[in-house]
Amino acid sequence: MKCRQVQNKLSAFQDGELRPEEHEKVSKHLKSCMACRERYAEMEKVWQALGYFKEIPPEPEFYGQLVKKINESPEPRSPAGFQWVFQFFSAPWVTSSLLIAGILMGTFFGNMLVKSDLISFQQNQAAHSQAAVEVFSLKAFDPIPPGTLGDRYMRMASSGEEGRR
Amino acid sequence: MTKKLESVSSEDLMAKTAGGDELAFEILVRRHETSVLNLIYRYIGDRTKARDLAQETFVRVWRAADRYQPKAKFTTWIYSITANLCLNELRLAKGKKFIPLETEGEGEKESSETHSDASQSPEDLLLAEERGRQVSEALQSLPDSQRMALILKRYENLSYAEIAKVMECSVSAVESLLVRAKKNLQEKLILFER
Repeated sequence: MKCRQVQNKLSAFQDGELRPEEHEKVSKHLKSCMACRERYAEMEKVWQALGYFKEIPPEPEFYGQLVKKINESPEPRSPAGFQWVFQFFSAPWVTSSLLIAGILMGTFFGNMLVKSDLISFQQNQAAHSQAAVEVFSLKAFDPIPPGTLGDRYMRMASSGEEGRR
Repeated sequence: MTKKLESVSSEDLMAKTAGGDELAFEILVRRHETSVLNLIYRYIGDRTKARDLAQETFVRVWRAADRYQPKAKFTTWIYSITANLCLNELRLAKGKKFIPLETEGEGEKESSETHSDASQSPEDLLLAEERGRQVSEALQSLPDSQRMALILKRYENLSYAEIAKVMECSVSAVESLLVRAKKNLQEKLILFER
């Protein structure tokens, strides 16, 4: 292993986070390379120096004060009975199933609503003007029914073209 | 009953706490109060605030006991709560634009009373206290994320994977934070040698 590779891994080596084979390679390199060994020694010195920051003990009355704080606190715990609700809905299979069910139901109801609109439209056709019925009933690639507005337009358009020729 | 509960895992104690077992909660608190307190203290550098925030951490543990999922290690979970509280506290403090470090009389006096060693001479004790103060200052100078990662690694001995869960980042991000934190500390603490 080269020095640069080793130096990039020294922090993880110090923290014991390298895979065993990598750890072995770094260890072996440090035995033979003075520069890397010195670098690692500096890192160890800093790590040891952090030990000067001593911990502080909790006060003897810590727990008593905590109980007082909890009792004075206005926020109640969520009722234990609702725990199963959170646990049930947090399961992935439940969330996926609900999503799929929602999409299927939405599609089903959507289709129902669309169909009901067409039927009501067809029933109301008689109430619409003849011209509107012709326009809405026209399917794009069907031949234009003779005598309709569209037929008259097409005749005008074709007679106009013949005039230009 | 207490002795029996003392051998129970923290995860099981949490399950009992969720069921309203106050004795289980007390054992849980006593088991973790020192580490929680010191994580906060090393992170924000203020002893009084650290005690308040440690209390707040356990209040949240109590309130959230019935939502705790035992698939996560208890320590990872409680450190997540603690880390969030620390970050919020720092945001508030930065908002006020004044972050007090402990004064000499307050900090050093307490630590020397608590950690006096009969075998150490007064000069050694003074030197140790001074170095402790320098380390504390050096830690406070680190960016927030680097400081949290370093404290969790050095003082709580969490793995990279556990730190990543606490800090809600990737393992490679943790590794990168630690590399930079150690480099920054090395530059700050080089004065020890002078």
